[in-house]
Amino acid sequence: MKPAAKIYTAVILLFLFAPIVILLVFSFNASKSLSVMSGSSLYWYRELFRDAETLGAVRNTLLLAISAALISTVMGTAAAVGIHRLRSKYLRAAMDTVTNIPMINPDIITGISLMLMFVFVGRLFGAATSLNFATILIAHITFCLPYVILQVLPKLQQMDTSLPEAAMDLGCTPMRAFLKVEIPEIMPGIVTGLIMAFTLSLDDFVISYFTSGNGFETLPIRIYNMTKKTVTPKMYALSTIIFFVILALLIMSNLIDTAAPVVEKPTRERKIRTAAQKRRIRLAGAIGAVLAVSFIVVMIAGAPKKPVLNVYNWGEYISDGSEDSFNAIKGFETWYEENYGSPVEINYSTFASNEDMYAKLSSGAVSYDVVIPSDYMIARMADEGMLLPLNFDNIPNYQYIGENFRGLYYDPEDLYSVPYTYSFVGVIWDANRVDEADTGDWDLMWNSKYAGDILQFNNSRDAFATAQYKLGLDVNSADREDWNLALQELKLQQPLVKSYVMDEIYNMMESGEAAIAAYYAGDYFTMLDAEADDVDLRFYMPEQTNYFIDAMCIPSCCQNKELAEAFINYMLEEEPAIANAEYICYGCPNSLVYESEEYAEDMGEEAMEILYPDLEHFSELYNSFAYRNLSPDMLGYVNSLWEELKIN
Amino acid sequence: MKKNNTLLQRLVIAPYSFWALLFIVVPLFFVAYYAFTDSGFHFTTENITRFFTARSSITGDDGTVREVYTYLLIFWRSLKLALISTVICLLLGYPIAYILSRASDRTQKILITLIMIPMWMNFLIRTYAWMTILQDTGILNGLLKSVGLRPLHIIGTETAVVIGMVYDYFPYMILPIYSVMAKMDIKLLEAARDLGCNSFGVLRRVIFPLSLPGVISGITMVLIPSISTFYISQKLGNGKFYLIGDAIEGQYVANNLHFAAAIAFILMIVLLVCMAFMQRYANSKAVA
Repeated sequence: MKPAAKIYTAVILLFLFAPIVILLVFSFNASKSLSVMSGSSLYWYRELFRDAETLGAVRNTLLLAISAALISTVMGTAAAVGIHRLRSKYLRAAMDTVTNIPMINPDIITGISLMLMFVFVGRLFGAATSLNFATILIAHITFCLPYVILQVLPKLQQMDTSLPEAAMDLGCTPMRAFLKVEIPEIMPGIVTGLIMAFTLSLDDFVISYFTSGNGFETLPIRIYNMTKKTVTPKMYALSTIIFFVILALLIMSNLIDTAAPVVEKPTRERKIRTAAQKRRIRLAGAIGAVLAVSFIVVMIAGAPKKPVLNVYNWGEYISDGSEDSFNAIKGFETWYEENYGSPVEINYSTFASNEDMYAKLSSGAVSYDVVIPSDYMIARMADEGMLLPLNFDNIPNYQYIGENFRGLYYDPEDLYSVPYTYSFVGVIWDANRVDEADTGDWDLMWNSKYAGDILQFNNSRDAFATAQYKLGLDVNSADREDWNLALQELKLQQPLVKSYVMDEIYNMMESGEAAIAAYYAGDYFTMLDAEADDVDLRFYMPEQTNYFIDAMCIPSCCQNKELAEAFINYMLEEEPAIANAEYICYGCPNSLVYESEEYAEDMGEEAMEILYPDLEHFSELYNSFAYRNLSPDMLGYVNSLWEELKIN
Repeated sequence: MKKNNTLLQRLVIAPYSFWALLFIVVPLFFVAYYAFTDSGFHFTTENITRFFTARSSITGDDGTVREVYTYLLIFWRSLKLALISTVICLLLGYPIAYILSRASDRTQKILITLIMIPMWMNFLIRTYAWMTILQDTGILNGLLKSVGLRPLHIIGTETAVVIGMVYDYFPYMILPIYSVMAKMDIKLLEAARDLGCNSFGVLRRVIFPLSLPGVISGITMVLIPSISTFYISQKLGNGKFYLIGDAIEGQYVANNLHFAAAIAFILMIVLLVCMAFMQRYANSKAVA
């Protein structure tokens, strides 16, 4: 290599590895922040190895990527050979076009279109759930195939066609000529295709999201669903481990290479390999294939035979044993076996928003036994017959739910839901940069003194609500004019807004990137824990603000209602309830929790004051400020207003 | 002999043809079906018309208000960012692919692996790491300040979104070009040089035409994902870029699958036409 080429390569590698270095460094962070370093520790690595759900997602992701890559490489190589030999111009053109489709289709379309088809076929055959491991595997193979074909086809086109002909003239059968001459010739393309398929499958989020079924959660889905809470350095630790495993493999394969004689430049002579080399390559191939196949067999055979309870919840919304907390999922499995004498397994999946959850459940693509949506979504689902009435004889612990949390608008007769958490929206501000005199109400978020330091929600309902509360409008208005007024207010605010955020808020507030933001009350404490030295975060609640409740419900597709009720009952027991409340950091409607001295001590005085401001009047405040379900027509209209704001 | 060939040919192509029909072609009809129906599944062209006629008002930097076609504007912005990213990927990636293909076998292998490694770390996570670098209070500005330079405001600008797209899809540009170049016969280059071509001439008249199939698939593999991405623009664009992927996702979340399908349908047609033209160009070059 010439010096210029060396320098250029180094610059490109620097660009490619800059974020990787960030991952490495922050995986050793002592605090939860991804932008403020506060001492180094191995804490997140220990956390990672304790997190059964994340490790399960890693296992699923690998299983899927290996299967999809192997199948699509075999099928794609065969297809490329077939396409290359097509004599008919029209057939050839047709094949090329079809092959191009999954590449030209944005992944979101491939995902939705396949989901629609799977659901349709599933209903045709009366299946309870139409999505499972097979559907996500089919989807992955489908989008990997063109990449394999497009790697192999150019190799075939570049190949000297006289080579296989010569082989056949010399007495080879076509099959033998193909295996001995063509395959080695196109091998680099096949290998690149295989690696690409594996990489694409490993990294895919959108298509998996639409086509994955019950409980089969891949790593990208799990990470995406953390967007209401936050991505922790645990994920960075995982990436760091992946990095070093790959690095080790790379060094190993290079050691094998150095042992073999170094072959000259890329000319024809390169194809001539010594017998020893061939043997080594075959051996490596065989070992790889055996490992991959046995991995898949073990994974499939290792699937649980116990009764399974499918739980569908927000990301990061249950105490899962991380950060030395109590593991409520494992806890239920043990508790159930002790009390009912039979083993049970929880299949736990997460969603990123009420709307995502609704879209999946209403399509009939999946079936869950317990879901934990928010209030207005519960009202909508109950209306549409998507929820089953609960049998409260099986949920005796319901007695601990505070009086104030019963008979609320979304479930006035308390038929369908058991409250899990509640919270409200408040304003977080940095006392080092914001004048305390300016705080107290929504005007702070429109204060031009702080232009460029303000964060606004990146979801339409919460963002519009801040404007509506500020103007004193009804957040559930059926009058389009009210929403237009709120839009004008948001447009006025736009030049002052630094960023529209969901989970990005954590990084931006902790590092002092922004100074003012509205978010959910409990999450303020997460930020407080990780704030940088020159940041001093505070919190207040404007007089009018959104109150919300997330509650446990049983959807109509539930397969085992009694088991689901046992789970809901267990979640109200003192130990898991306190653990969940401490982990999620939102308010808890369970009197075993909010009356517990131990809990109050753990949370600290400030947190108790903020999370439990005025329980006496909770139902009153709640009923006047909570979101109600909007009509489909209104939802469409709000969405178009949101688009108008966002294209500005 | 010829008979044998066609039998083999049928055998190898049969599984794929079946698969492609069932899982590539048929689902497209579902998209079309949804695009041309309303929520009661009655035929309508309203979704398509809405894409071309919906209007909204935007305020310019100077405070003037003007009416625009909502979705055409969103589409144009997505296309613009995707094209910029693709061109940058090509300009940066082509030399790397060339350097790679001319390096020793061992260097090739090491460099290819180094280029692939970042892709094996989840792209959501990698994008997150870019936020940490590009923030106003981020690593990059920290470095600039420590050497006495003025900090840059990158996060939330088009530059940040383009950096994210280039970063995430860069290997998809390098690999196809490299794999074609690695097969290129070095004797051709020597012959061109012997016949009096200078370096630029060799590049323009020999290397580039021969590498065209790789360039075309590289462009496709970068352009398509960057035109429909919504995650990169959300994270690095400070949520201020509303691209076509956001629009489709937004309609899906608002439970309006039919309009989401219509946007998808139009996007698909446009891309198909573009790719057909590009393919034709590549073929004509290859013949020449």
